[in-house]
Amino acid sequence: MGDIALEVNHVSIDYRNLMHMSLHQGLLKGEAKRADIVRAVNDISFTVEKGKILGIVGRNGSGKTTLLRSIAGIFQPDEGYIDTKGNRVSLMAIGIGFNASNTGRENILKSGMLLGCKLNYVKEHMDEIIEFSELGDFIDRPVRTYSSGMYSKLSFAVTAILETDIMLVDEVLSVGDEHFRKKSYAKMEELMLSNRTVLIVSHATDTLKKFCDNILWINDGKFIRLGETEEVLQEYEDFMSL
Amino acid sequence: MKKKSKTGFFLARILIILSGVIGTILIAIYPFDNRNIKITFVTPEERQTVSLSNDVIAAGQFGTFTFNDMEEFTLKKILVYGKWESILLKEFNFGEIAPYVSSVDGGTMNLAEDAIVFSGDGRISFTMTPSFIEVIKDLSATIIQERLILIGIAMAMTAMAIIFCNALQEKYIAENRDNHGPIYEIKRFCIDMRKYWQYIIFSARADLKAEVADSYLNRLWWLLEPFFNMLVYVIVFGQVMGRSVENYATFVFSALLMWNFFNKTIAYSVKLIRSNKDIVTKVYIPKFVILFSNMILNLLKLLFSMVVLIVMLAVFRIHIGVNLFWFFPAYLVMIMLAFGAGMIFLHFGVYVDDLSYAIGILLNMLMFLSGIFYDVMTTLPEPLNGLMLCLNPVAGLIDTMRQALLYNTAANLPILGMWFLISSILCYIGIHIVYKNENSYVKVV
Repeated sequence: MGDIALEVNHVSIDYRNLMHMSLHQGLLKGEAKRADIVRAVNDISFTVEKGKILGIVGRNGSGKTTLLRSIAGIFQPDEGYIDTKGNRVSLMAIGIGFNASNTGRENILKSGMLLGCKLNYVKEHMDEIIEFSELGDFIDRPVRTYSSGMYSKLSFAVTAILETDIMLVDEVLSVGDEHFRKKSYAKMEELMLSNRTVLIVSHATDTLKKFCDNILWINDGKFIRLGETEEVLQEYEDFMSL
Repeated sequence: MKKKSKTGFFLARILIILSGVIGTILIAIYPFDNRNIKITFVTPEERQTVSLSNDVIAAGQFGTFTFNDMEEFTLKKILVYGKWESILLKEFNFGEIAPYVSSVDGGTMNLAEDAIVFSGDGRISFTMTPSFIEVIKDLSATIIQERLILIGIAMAMTAMAIIFCNALQEKYIAENRDNHGPIYEIKRFCIDMRKYWQYIIFSARADLKAEVADSYLNRLWWLLEPFFNMLVYVIVFGQVMGRSVENYATFVFSALLMWNFFNKTIAYSVKLIRSNKDIVTKVYIPKFVILFSNMILNLLKLLFSMVVLIVMLAVFRIHIGVNLFWFFPAYLVMIMLAFGAGMIFLHFGVYVDDLSYAIGILLNMLMFLSGIFYDVMTTLPEPLNGLMLCLNPVAGLIDTMRQALLYNTAANLPILGMWFLISSILCYIGIHIVYKNENSYVKVV
């Protein structure tokens, strides 16, 4: 048993169906709609050891993304707690805080700082990020002149190079062209070897088989199984093909 | 034991609210004496002030004003101040004064182009008509502005006492620590501020650059935009207002800068979470950081516009004196007010879709009520002008700022003080509700 890097303890997350309302509705009905509560994540507990890679599977709308966001600290769970043991957590996502009129370089700095890095730290890794993103001269042009592939490459590069202790990956591996995808896989493998804790949400079972030590399967916000990759994926596939 | 102290705090809170209410009512109905009045005669070189106590005013024994050791006395205007010297009650310019002068003792009175010139041999003395005495008596009779300001301060103090009470409770009763007490939140605010300071500055600068990145005139726009805005307003309103305000261009421009800052901050804050969906749904960031960054952006633009303002001050040869100092507190309170109100609107803007339309209309109305194109004190009718200055923070702050900048007068310090207290409470309330509810913002957007 290694050290535990992440502990999720009886976590439940509600979505209040308050949603948007107009002034008109608000004045007439007050907050009467508060009653519609959707429980997106229901009493889930698990722990992840340091350096392990955990895959999370489940059908659409089963609360995977909500769970990841909660672990990333974007919102607190309504019940239970998430203990990251002082590790820095980041959610790998496309283009955090990108401003299309700024150059790639400025966006790297901005995005990096939003991920919780100091300005100097991002500057030190600037060359590495630019190299990984394969953008070349485009890095000093405004991001709005980029193709969508280049955009994704840049944002993936930012999150991949500015590593945090725990990385949460939500379906972003299918980015860029074939060459870049291979590179991303290589980077993921490197992360795996570098003793980093990673949580991956994906529907691509091949990817999961390749990387993950364990698989967590959730359905409708409820915990179904947590176990060895092969076993759980087999069961999951059987369940899905029903 | 715990239960006892809890009820103790509950009682304390009720006591505070009660004393707040009683204090407010007392201030509202207490039979204060009539105002003492200070009459200031403005000449091109200096100001002569005559203080009148309320007894003298009630008896009506003050119609004659005498100035010794003077051959010639050029009177540009008369300012009438209230109990607090900084509350301007009325302004007579030279055209309005002339009919009130009934006789000049041993000298002559001539109407010059922009002043009244009294001349005599060594001693100038003139007597005002009974109607002038009546006007001063009326001005002395009510102290509604003072009452309003005291009430504002009393209410702010009550709110502060309640916050303080919450802080004590947070400190001494462990079970009340739900991470939303004042001590915790203010500490968290400071920590977040330090942590995100670099980002705030960088993001503001990047956004500033992005705004003009590819435009042809580039940075020049920061100067051109406010300048041409001012030009439009001066042409349109200058015609409407006639020439009643001297240096009308500077008068409008200085107010417009302050207003634009407030206006942009509030309008942005209502839509803040929605327009920053990309950031808010992907990383945790204290929401005030985004608002603050936008305010820094607006402040940077403001600094550029200040260059235009300074040039205008120089071109129109406006005298600047020590009272220019009050320019800065006025801006400080404005920044605090914009931040506090912005945080509160930020919260409601998330849940209420069409709030931004409503706020847009309100801001538009506020713009015309805040005396940007006119002087509130002299343009609005009698009781309304004082009320507007006290109750509309934007009008009060713009007036204070403008008095300091253009007329070298420390105007309306009680109003500045009152709004400083109220703004700090708004800031706290804003920080409190946003910290408390930011969890659900991501779920709603």
